[in-house]
Amino acid sequence: MASSATTGNPMPPSLSMPPSQFARLQPHAYLRAHLSPPSSDQPSVRANGRATSQFRVTSVNTGSLTHANGSAVVRIGDTTAVCGVRAELLHTSDISSWGVSQAPSKQNPTNTNEAKDSKSEDEDDQGQIQDLNLLVPNLSLSTGCAPGLTPGAPPSALAQSLSHQILSLLHTTNLVRADDLRIWYQPPNFDSEEFHNPGEGMEVDTEQSGGPEREIKAFWVLYIDIMILSMAGNAFDAAWASVLAALRDTKLPNAWWDDDNETILCSDDFAEAHRLTLRGLPIASSFCCFEGDAAAGWRANVIPDAEEQKKKKGSQQKWILADPDGYEEGLTQERACVVVDKENGKTIIVKMEKHGGWNVDSDDLRKLVDVSSQRWDDLKQALEQC
Amino acid sequence: MVSPILSQLNRPDGSAAYKCPATGYNILGAVNGPVELPARRDALKPEEATVEVFVKPGTTTAGVAERYVEGILRSVLGKVVLGREKGFPRRGVIITLAIAGGENMDRGDSYLTILPSLLHAALLSMISASVPLSMTFSAALFGVTKTGDIVRDPSPTAAKASVSLHVFAISSKGHLLLNESEGRFDFDTWELVHQRALSVCQGTASADGDVTMGEGAASASLHGLIREAVEDQIYSDYAYKLDSI
Repeated sequence: MASSATTGNPMPPSLSMPPSQFARLQPHAYLRAHLSPPSSDQPSVRANGRATSQFRVTSVNTGSLTHANGSAVVRIGDTTAVCGVRAELLHTSDISSWGVSQAPSKQNPTNTNEAKDSKSEDEDDQGQIQDLNLLVPNLSLSTGCAPGLTPGAPPSALAQSLSHQILSLLHTTNLVRADDLRIWYQPPNFDSEEFHNPGEGMEVDTEQSGGPEREIKAFWVLYIDIMILSMAGNAFDAAWASVLAALRDTKLPNAWWDDDNETILCSDDFAEAHRLTLRGLPIASSFCCFEGDAAAGWRANVIPDAEEQKKKKGSQQKWILADPDGYEEGLTQERACVVVDKENGKTIIVKMEKHGGWNVDSDDLRKLVDVSSQRWDDLKQALEQC
Repeated sequence: MVSPILSQLNRPDGSAAYKCPATGYNILGAVNGPVELPARRDALKPEEATVEVFVKPGTTTAGVAERYVEGILRSVLGKVVLGREKGFPRRGVIITLAIAGGENMDRGDSYLTILPSLLHAALLSMISASVPLSMTFSAALFGVTKTGDIVRDPSPTAAKASVSLHVFAISSKGHLLLNESEGRFDFDTWELVHQRALSVCQGTASADGDVTMGEGAASASLHGLIREAVEDQIYSDYAYKLDSI
């Protein structure tokens, strides 16, 4: 790269330019020169040395924070996200609409145990998590993680939209089961000849037909706080991976309703704490599309039709880069994000989004889904090792 | 079908009221541009106009979900606006979209159901403000039900019950400008919905993207609908010329 400025006539060495300076002065030309292969049979290599569909090295560490119920540090290249999950109790007596919104017949334990098929349970489940706001993710970018983001500032538009993306992905994937967050209480049946202690009230099998119904006394609310410690592009993948790892790590203490004190008591015995059982393992992969022609976006008359664009394959005009770093994100506008899960080896798309341009078409998206499902295997390994 | 109303407001440079017939969302859009930006927000890209989008929900103040949808709209519209035309660099195009009617959004709700209406209102108000655009577009919402049927423009309650939701924005030249899909689906389902979106937006008659305005047939496509709204407005604006002939 550096020699291209000095070709032709001999120049004094002081006028030659190191690649890092070329990268700052002509960022678009620099990345384009890297991506254009010298011969057509060679693959493109990005400025950071990766292949176009290669992700950065990902490392996951869980249980890093001692005061949180679950925590994780995820590092994707130079992007680092820390996530802590804190569980707090929400008493049903504090929910103003509790008696109105929850029809008692719906909470019938015989229904929840046997009669309900998994589908209706899913819906009931998601309704409660969403209606009662049992999951509260918040992402903070004002940690001095990047030069452009001032530390201590109010949440930027990017931080807010990432928070929303995480929340809506938690809701659409139904990742957390509402049943893990419920604290049940079985009132003792005073009518029966065999008298129960209040502490034994959790058992469902002892319930008799005439006895009082099992009821929910409280919910666990999970506060999911994510801090991006270092931001080098692709914050969403790192943030979502850290949420996933932290939720897998989360242990909720054994809690029960104490009828004498009329309060919830928690056990401090670590062995009694239970983990969350998550639904699936959705993993996000982000991409950006780099256009070879920097001016293509604004010349009115030359934007070709979609059909013509497909035919014109002579010179490569776009490169889809997986897991973009900060430098590449600054040079591209078109983004794509695919969240996939696998069930019995079959890839299921949970979320797919693409905006900011018109270069990525359905054929490209099909390839991106394949790349994402490979990424799923890699990240699953990283998550299970820790 | 309720036709969109253009240039309804007097103060802004352009405005449009769009009511989605199926979902019932009523969006009022206003566009000012090019305007001088108060702060030097153009520091990053001085050679282009900055596109700013504000979304106002009907009953509450804007929250994190609005920030997210603003980001999507900005990236789609910023690519369509010809920000380097004379008078536009270093200035801003401010698009304000108020949700004037329809279902309320709760925290953590998916914003996909309202996204097509917001896109249409923004496009029509930009046309009304004579902001130069490289292409127009139209957007549609699709839901896939449990039985695998593709439903166009499902109502908010039907959208909640569907297995997956898809929003597509197709440009007048046939490009895929925006895709937002969520739920559980595989790529073949997505491809089917994509084909459906292409036919809904472009109309099945012409493949070259140039929608021919025939009688009746063209109004079936969404591109045709947008075109008709603009043509009606121009017809009424220049009515005095027609009368003088």
